[in-house]
Amino acid sequence: MLHINIQKTLHGNLGNMELDVAFHIKEHQFVAISGPSGSGKTTLLRILAGLEEANGEIEVGGETWLCNKTFLPPQKRGLGFVFQDYALFANMSVAENLLFAANDKKLASHLLELTQLKELAHRLPNSLSGGQKQRVSLCRAFMRRPKLLLMDEPLSALDPLMRTKLQHDILTLHKEFGTTTIMVSHDPSEIYRLANRVIELSHGKIIHDASPKELLLKTQGSQKFSLTGELLEILKSDVIYIAIVAIGQQIVEVVIDEEEALRFRVGERVQVSTKAFSPSLSKI
Amino acid sequence: MNEIRAKITDIQSSDNLSVLSFDANTQTMRLMALGLNLPLSLGSEVLLGVKSSNISLASSIQGELSISNQLPCNIESLEMGTLLCSVRLRFGECLLRSVITKASALKMGLHEQQNIIALIKASDLSIIKIFPTSETKCD
Repeated sequence: MLHINIQKTLHGNLGNMELDVAFHIKEHQFVAISGPSGSGKTTLLRILAGLEEANGEIEVGGETWLCNKTFLPPQKRGLGFVFQDYALFANMSVAENLLFAANDKKLASHLLELTQLKELAHRLPNSLSGGQKQRVSLCRAFMRRPKLLLMDEPLSALDPLMRTKLQHDILTLHKEFGTTTIMVSHDPSEIYRLANRVIELSHGKIIHDASPKELLLKTQGSQKFSLTGELLEILKSDVIYIAIVAIGQQIVEVVIDEEEALRFRVGERVQVSTKAFSPSLSKI
Repeated sequence: MNEIRAKITDIQSSDNLSVLSFDANTQTMRLMALGLNLPLSLGSEVLLGVKSSNISLASSIQGELSISNQLPCNIESLEMGTLLCSVRLRFGECLLRSVITKASALKMGLHEQQNIIALIKASDLSIIKIFPTSETKCD
């Protein structure tokens, strides 16, 4: 459905970088683009949207968007774009924002219903929460029934609870419209929940292209429960040793042997792993 | 992490779950694992890992036990703490460590040179390394 093969020289803080990316996407696929800051994710999305020029080709649904003779302007590409910062018209109500994109009252009403925004249809964006605003911009992106939906870290400004709600809305809309989607995201749980393929960029090149599970499930041999952390301290307690490890925002304790206590140094990056059989889950 | 070198003798899989059998110092060992996508085949040599706190000890066993791995060992040394006891075990070429309560160690009357059985559940055993086929030395 989508074929892209583009090159562009980017001028970043760390000097020049060559963005050189080629891949195909099938219709209805939901692809996440991940990778560290400055790896070229957003530029790739902007090139797809026609907001930046590049060398190479882009072909979507048999239509050429970019080649050495053609540069289809953004408004002719039939795509939807959801930004991190909503980009709504402040002087228009929720419904007007949607109808401005395409004058289709039936579709607007259907979208607002799907995302439970119907009661807010006449409100102005400034009176909405961040999550509500992002739901409106999501609906607006679907108003033109785009062939391709591009989302640039759409949920990163939201709190975890609202993020989960929005992920649900995105899934509902994707199921309803089957829109081929490319989303830039850093969040593993978001990628796992929404995408069926992840393309990871580093320094402008694709370094991984796999299913979310293949890419995100960190394993250590046959140990399926594996997390990366920083060793903060090793304490001796009776005849055993306890390693204190910081994993994300949490601190965990791991019982280790004397040999391990001697082998590890405080401050080191370590992998905490166990078999999938050992951890237990409980509700918070 | 205790390390035991072993050779794969059987692989059984059902859906995402696998049970592997090994030969380690002529003893049969068994491991259960989820979604095993490692390059394993019969005859592959691997390093099995088990935490010291997941090794139980028995001086004599009567009746049947569901614990898959029952390894005959010899006690090389004992370190008694205030509440816990760390036992160094010789299993063929491997040295293992079991951490049990001091009360259990005293109740069992554990002492150096004693023959003892190390018990490890199949779910507590993991594969930590796969040796290339040419590599035969134990490390």
